[in-house]
Formats: sequence, structure tokens, C-alpha cells
Amino acid sequence: MDTVQELVALIQTNQERFYRIAYTYVKNREDALDLVHDAVVKALQSCPALKNPAYMRTWFYRILINESLSFLRKRKNVLSWEEIPAQAAPDARQEEYIDLYAAIDKLPADLKTVVILRFFEDMKLEAIADITSANLNTTKSRLYRALKLLKLDMEVLDHD
Amino acid sequence: MIDRTNYDKIAIPENLDAVVGQAIDEGLSKRRRRTWGVWKKAGSIAAVLVLCTVSALNLSPAFASAACRLPVVGELCQVLLFREYHTEDEIKYVDVKIPRIAHTEQPDLESLVNQEIQRVVQDCIQESEARAKDYYDAFVSTGGDPAEFIPLGITIDYEIKYVSPECVSFVVFQRETRFSAYNCDLYYNLDLNSGEVITLKDLFGKDYRQIVANSIQDSIETWSEEERSILWEDLSIPDLISEDTDFYFNQDGQAVVVIGKYQAAYGAAGSLEFVIQPPAPVK
Repeated sequence: MDTVQELVALIQTNQERFYRIAYTYVKNREDALDLVHDAVVKALQSCPALKNPAYMRTWFYRILINESLSFLRKRKNVLSWEEIPAQAAPDARQEEYIDLYAAIDKLPADLKTVVILRFFEDMKLEAIADITSANLNTTKSRLYRALKLLKLDMEVLDHD
Repeated sequence: MIDRTNYDKIAIPENLDAVVGQAIDEGLSKRRRRTWGVWKKAGSIAAVLVLCTVSALNLSPAFASAACRLPVVGELCQVLLFREYHTEDEIKYVDVKIPRIAHTEQPDLESLVNQEIQRVVQDCIQESEARAKDYYDAFVSTGGDPAEFIPLGITIDYEIKYVSPECVSFVVFQRETRFSAYNCDLYYNLDLNSGEVITLKDLFGKDYRQIVANSIQDSIETWSEEERSILWEDLSIPDLISEDTDFYFNQDGQAVVVIGKYQAAYGAAGSLEFVIQPPAPVK
């Protein structure tokens, strides 16, 4: 099996995981599908650039996450209609819809990535460091920071 | 530990599989997506850029390995990308890939077939270029600013369907993009022993029309009611079959007849393909 075939197989067997990751970033079905699509196209096009097939998995996650993050950066400047009500009336029925996931959503992108990969994708910190092109210590401190923020967030909720 | 039940419950859209499949195809075909904005600019400064790569399989191992991903027989790598080039000017933007056969141990035949392929591709390009010129002239003569003209995109590509020591089957895609899309697929099946084009008649004998039509009819019988509803009501299959009917050999060497868009069904169905039974012994 050559690298390309291997990559195709990897994509096909894990497409649902990839979709979930993308969805966690963009929170919308169409955008998540677009992201998965673009990441797959990009990966296959630049497949020859992948020197060591052993890193294929990590490498694909990196492409997908970079796509997701750059999508979010672009979207920052565009406010969609669906988002307006949610932001305009955040305190009306807060408890009903703010939960752990909402709290994760509010994390800065780099912290969010670490949380998704660590807890939802069950990845080791070393692998996360590879995917995010950060060193292990940075990754660790991001995780702790994220957990701290989440905890604070959850506590605020508890007190409300 | 974070509870991930909700995460695992994120609904997977039904079309995820299709989207991923399509992305895989797109990624594999490696076609660059074009951005019209850049073209416009390129067109306005009337940039003329000609890149021409003549690639020799034996000289470039990297290229050879790419080309050899095509279906090959044994150790032979018979169909190679001969030339890939790109040209653009203010009225058109042309991407061409020309295939060539080699290593068949019949140099005379090779050059014959390659000349034929060249001729076909050149015809396609000329036709498309003429159309681009027509668009441009019409645009300018009706008061359009030449600098505003968006070049016509012309893509000539090919796909090798089947290769054996006896025959080669390939299709040349001609694509134009502009106001509407113009597509033309040219199917070629060549007998490598004689250099002749293989027709359905060669494969199935003088009753080929009936044999092919019956086989298509049998395939349609297996379709669901809904699938059949896309076909024209007054469809007469034998009328679609002639010596010029498009077909190719699939990887198992079976003849696959291609019925063009609108010929048998609504345009939304695209072109239809039917594997013809009994599997034809490849000549």
C-alpha cells in the first residue's frame, strides 16, 4: 500500500472523528462538512510532502485543526444571524444552555484544541504537541490553563 | 475527567460519506481550483506565460512513480503522461495533459497511436481556442472593455481506463468554463496489435446493437422505480447504439457503454454507464 492509499484509508475509517472535531470548532453542520472536505483535499494534494508515513495521523489532524482555526479567524469578522440572539441575551436562561460544552467553546482556540484532543480524542500529550506544533511543556501548560478556566467557569455557574 | 457523551453524540450527517468521497476524488485529481480574481488581473496586463514540460519517464524517477500509479500490466508502464503544459493570455487559460503510450515493443504502432492521440488533443484545443476567440470578439464588438474580459478556462485531461498488452482504453476530457460549462469526453479504445480503433461491432459481432441494447435493458430492469423515472419515457435503447457509441474497458476488461447526458435521461442524471454482459473477450 503506498502512502496515498494509506491516507485514503485513514480518512475513510476516521471520517466521523474528523467531522466531530471540526464540528466542535464551528458548531454548524455545513461548515464542519466544508472543513472536512477542504482538509481532505489539502491532505491528498500535499501527500507527497509527507516524508514519514508514520506521522500520517498526526499530520492529518494538524491540517484539519489548522483549517478549523483559520476558518474561525476569518469568521470572527462576520457575525451570522444565528449567533446574534445567543449573544444578545446571554443571561436570560443561562443555566439551561451553558454547560461544559459551552464553556469549552468559550476557551481561546489554542486551549480548546488541547482539550478536544486530550479528552474527546483520547490523545497523549506528546501527540497533541506534535499536532499543534508546540513543545510538550507548552502543551501541558495550555491544558492546565484550560482546565483552570473551565473550572472557574463551572464554579461561576454553580454559584449562579 | 471530562464527560464525553455529548461529544460522541454529535450527529454525523448522512452525506458525510459522500462529501469525504468527493473530497478524496478532488484531492487525488490534484486539480488546482481557479480563482477568477487573479485571472482578471492576469488578463488585464495581457500576460502571456507559456510553460511547457516535456517529461521523459526514464529520466525522472519521481515522475515515473507518479505515472505508474495508472493501471499497468506486469512490469510495463505503457501509458505515460507525455506532456503537461499551461498557457494563458488575455482570452484563455489552458491546461493540457497529453497521454502517450510507450514500451509496447512495437515502435511503429506506438508512434501511430501517439500521433493519433496528439491529433485528437490538438483538435480539441483548437476547437476550444476558436470558441474562446469567438467569445472575446463578441464581447469586444458589443462594447465590452477588453481589460474586463474573463478568460475562458480550457482543460484537457485524460484518464486511462484499461491497459493490456492487446489494447488500451482511455478517455480525453475536454472542459471549458465560462458562462456555461462545455464538456466533451472522447473515448478511445485501440487495438495494440493492429493499431485500429475497436468498435462495439468488433466486440459483439454484427448483432452488436441488439446485444448491447439487451444488456442495457437488463441493467435498467434491476433499477428501482425511482431510478427508472429519470429516463425519457419514449426511450428506445437500440437507437442509441451505433458504431460511434462511446464505450471504454473497465479494469476487468469489460466493455462499458457510456450514454451521454440528455441522450437517455434528464440532464440531472448526467451520463449513464452500463457494463455490457456477457463480458466481451478483449481482442
